[in-house]
Amino acid sequence: MATCGFEVRSAEQGRELKLAMQRLWLTGQVMPVGARLLVRHVFCNGEEQALEAVYSFMLPRDAALRRFEVEGEGFEAHSELRRVEEAVKVYEEGIEAGHLATLARAYRDGVVNLTLGNLRKGEQVTVTLEVLAGVELHDDGLRFRFPFALAPGYHPKARAAGGEIELPEQEFGDVILPKYMREADGLHDVGFDLALRIPGAVAEIGSPSHAVRVREENGARRVTLAPAADLPNRDVVIDVKFAEPTTQILGGAKRFAMAVPSTRFGQSASGRRKVAMVIDRSGSMRGQPMTQAVRAVEACLGALSKDDEFALVAFDDRIEMFRDMLVPATSESRDAARSFLQGIGARGGTELARGFSAGARLAAGGDVLVITDGQVMGTEEILAKARALNVRIHCLGIGSASQDRFLALLASATGGVSRFVTPQERVDVTAVDLFASIGRPVAVDVRASGAKFETQPPAAVFAGTPWVAFGSASGPAAVRVEWNSGNFTEAIPTDQPEAAETLRLLDGARQIADLESRMTPGAEKEIEPKLVEISETFGLASRAMALVAVVKRAGDQAGAPPVTRIVPVGMPQGTQFESYFRPAARMAMSDSIAPAGVRYALASVVRREVPARPPDDTDRLLEIAANVAPDGGVAGSDIEDRTLKTVSALLLFLAEGHTTTEGAFRLHVERMVRFLESLSGLSRAHEEIIGRVVAFARAGRKPGRRTLRSWKDIENAVA
Amino acid sequence: MKSEWTLAELAEDVGLPARTIRYYIARGLLDGPEVAGRGAVYSNRHVERLKEIRKLQREGRMLAEIAQASHRPVELPEPEAWWRYSLADGVVVELRGDLAPWRVKRIRKALSEAMTHLKEEDTDGNMRV
Repeated sequence: MATCGFEVRSAEQGRELKLAMQRLWLTGQVMPVGARLLVRHVFCNGEEQALEAVYSFMLPRDAALRRFEVEGEGFEAHSELRRVEEAVKVYEEGIEAGHLATLARAYRDGVVNLTLGNLRKGEQVTVTLEVLAGVELHDDGLRFRFPFALAPGYHPKARAAGGEIELPEQEFGDVILPKYMREADGLHDVGFDLALRIPGAVAEIGSPSHAVRVREENGARRVTLAPAADLPNRDVVIDVKFAEPTTQILGGAKRFAMAVPSTRFGQSASGRRKVAMVIDRSGSMRGQPMTQAVRAVEACLGALSKDDEFALVAFDDRIEMFRDMLVPATSESRDAARSFLQGIGARGGTELARGFSAGARLAAGGDVLVITDGQVMGTEEILAKARALNVRIHCLGIGSASQDRFLALLASATGGVSRFVTPQERVDVTAVDLFASIGRPVAVDVRASGAKFETQPPAAVFAGTPWVAFGSASGPAAVRVEWNSGNFTEAIPTDQPEAAETLRLLDGARQIADLESRMTPGAEKEIEPKLVEISETFGLASRAMALVAVVKRAGDQAGAPPVTRIVPVGMPQGTQFESYFRPAARMAMSDSIAPAGVRYALASVVRREVPARPPDDTDRLLEIAANVAPDGGVAGSDIEDRTLKTVSALLLFLAEGHTTTEGAFRLHVERMVRFLESLSGLSRAHEEIIGRVVAFARAGRKPGRRTLRSWKDIENAVA
Repeated sequence: MKSEWTLAELAEDVGLPARTIRYYIARGLLDGPEVAGRGAVYSNRHVERLKEIRKLQREGRMLAEIAQASHRPVELPEPEAWWRYSLADGVVVELRGDLAPWRVKRIRKALSEAMTHLKEEDTDGNMRV
């Protein structure tokens, strides 16, 4: 161990790896409407010459940088918010004069380069960056996600080899992406200690990504990484489940934010559905994500009635369609669709826009559900294409390193909803859950009055996803919300003045993220003035304004330019290095890179196969869901057999907590109940039992688990 | 014609950010400045090399490839003329051809004395002075 905690570690090739950044630590608070975070980066120079360290990271959803603080021996400095060109000039002048200079600059796709220059030999410097970020909010809980890794992304013009990806400078500027290491072992430590500020009762807190410890402290729940530190190869994901869906309002000192569960607006209206399911079959989906995606779509097909219409699209850098039009969800077409799904394997690159455009063409005016890992670059152009389409795009993202920001934007830009799951979770169940919330919104023409709303709140509400609004009011206010079939009024509390500034910043971050997502190459000049205005109003960095600080240390003098070191990151957990990168040793000038070859190198991403696991109760539910016929009943030999099977299936779903309004399979449960309600010609005794089963299900009651073989067993189960 | 550039001037002239130029230097794509310190300067050599890097990038080369290819064999230096004197059996002395005449004269005198010694003592050969 050398001075200032510097440590020489062994990299995968057995070479010494000198780390310019030693540690990344995340703290801050998470609320239902967003998070205010402090990210602490500890840099240390263990080399003989002065260094310039570049750390690249991806912004979370709805995020913006606010400021940073630089601390070292005998100094402490704060960043200034400047126009990008000015900030770069200040940084460069600082570097030339031999001072310690720091620059945080955002690029396309939400990629940020944090650059620290003139770090002296043996010196340790900490840069603490304040970040405002959004969360994925559901009626019954929230998911917080922060990127500790940066997934390699597909771009048709990108070049990749030896753990490095280079993007075309004309489109992406001077952004530097990290060097990818095969394994994250030996790289910088990561960890977190987060405070959860949830106004309502909380039923459960957990993490599908990391081992965590949860404790109560000063009225807040704290979630901490259980081991001392972890590896930078996956995002941290924290799940909070609320005790019940309730309206959550934070307010104080003129600012407020409210999240109203969709159930307060009503239940999803039944009606004819037009939906295209679009499956990403790019190489990066290979393995368990692909298997789960196919199963999910099969189960989603089971949620359709014969009046509904569907289309299936599989895409990589080519498009394959089940039919070149929407088809009615009859038993025959669903069987044929299953055969189509069985033939889908993962292969090429992720041409996402082509995938959802094909889906949109088929389901014009309806919904598109995209299941993807979203590992793409140049997302602003994809978003521009999505905005031009007349469909709602709903996204189910899969991955251990986040493209959450992009997929959340893709959904919100088109009025859809998005979910992002880790590969360790059930993609299929989440897809079924998401599918149940798409279709007709529970409320349209939603309007809010009684306060000032700088960003217009969503005009439509979908089942499962709350309606969220940020606003301001000069005094005590009551917000009235009206929609096509109802209204309510909520008084805005003013008892949390400490939250007011955070809410203001979160609102600003959302506005910046939205505006940046419209900055396609060529549109920068047009959008930049507005972005500068919002950045200055809220004091937040953006693609137009960067953060810079120059520290004049004692003894600083101009010398040789610092040596640049790029902070490496590990490949995201579950993805294979070779699938992205050719071995660097094979590169030579004679080995020209044909674009097609690069496309292949980037495209043929292979996830490590997850060992097959024995089927569990959820697998059984999925299998049954896939076998729910277009009329809502389970397939069987005759009507009595079908009735018995449907009742058995219904009671199994109820026993597992899925009712007509709650749980991932709520749409299937609703359809089974409707099937039973539609039955006629039954004996009086059977009709009576079915009536009791329907009432039991409609009341959302939960039967005990038992084997059902006869009408008598059923009668006992719902007694 | 301009012969020296600061990093800021170099960045402006070739249209690359200064950080990118430092990154290229760290990667071995480009030599460091001619003079370090407050007066760090870059020469026409750097301008040409940066133009070459940009051209290669446009052709689809990655930086790692360009760096690898730049480690080419060192060019042959200009030839030098040498005088060769055989002093005795197995004894050879070489003098660079461009030495100053006054120096050559003194060396020749010394060699002549050495030759005399060698003949007298008939020492073992295979010695190279």
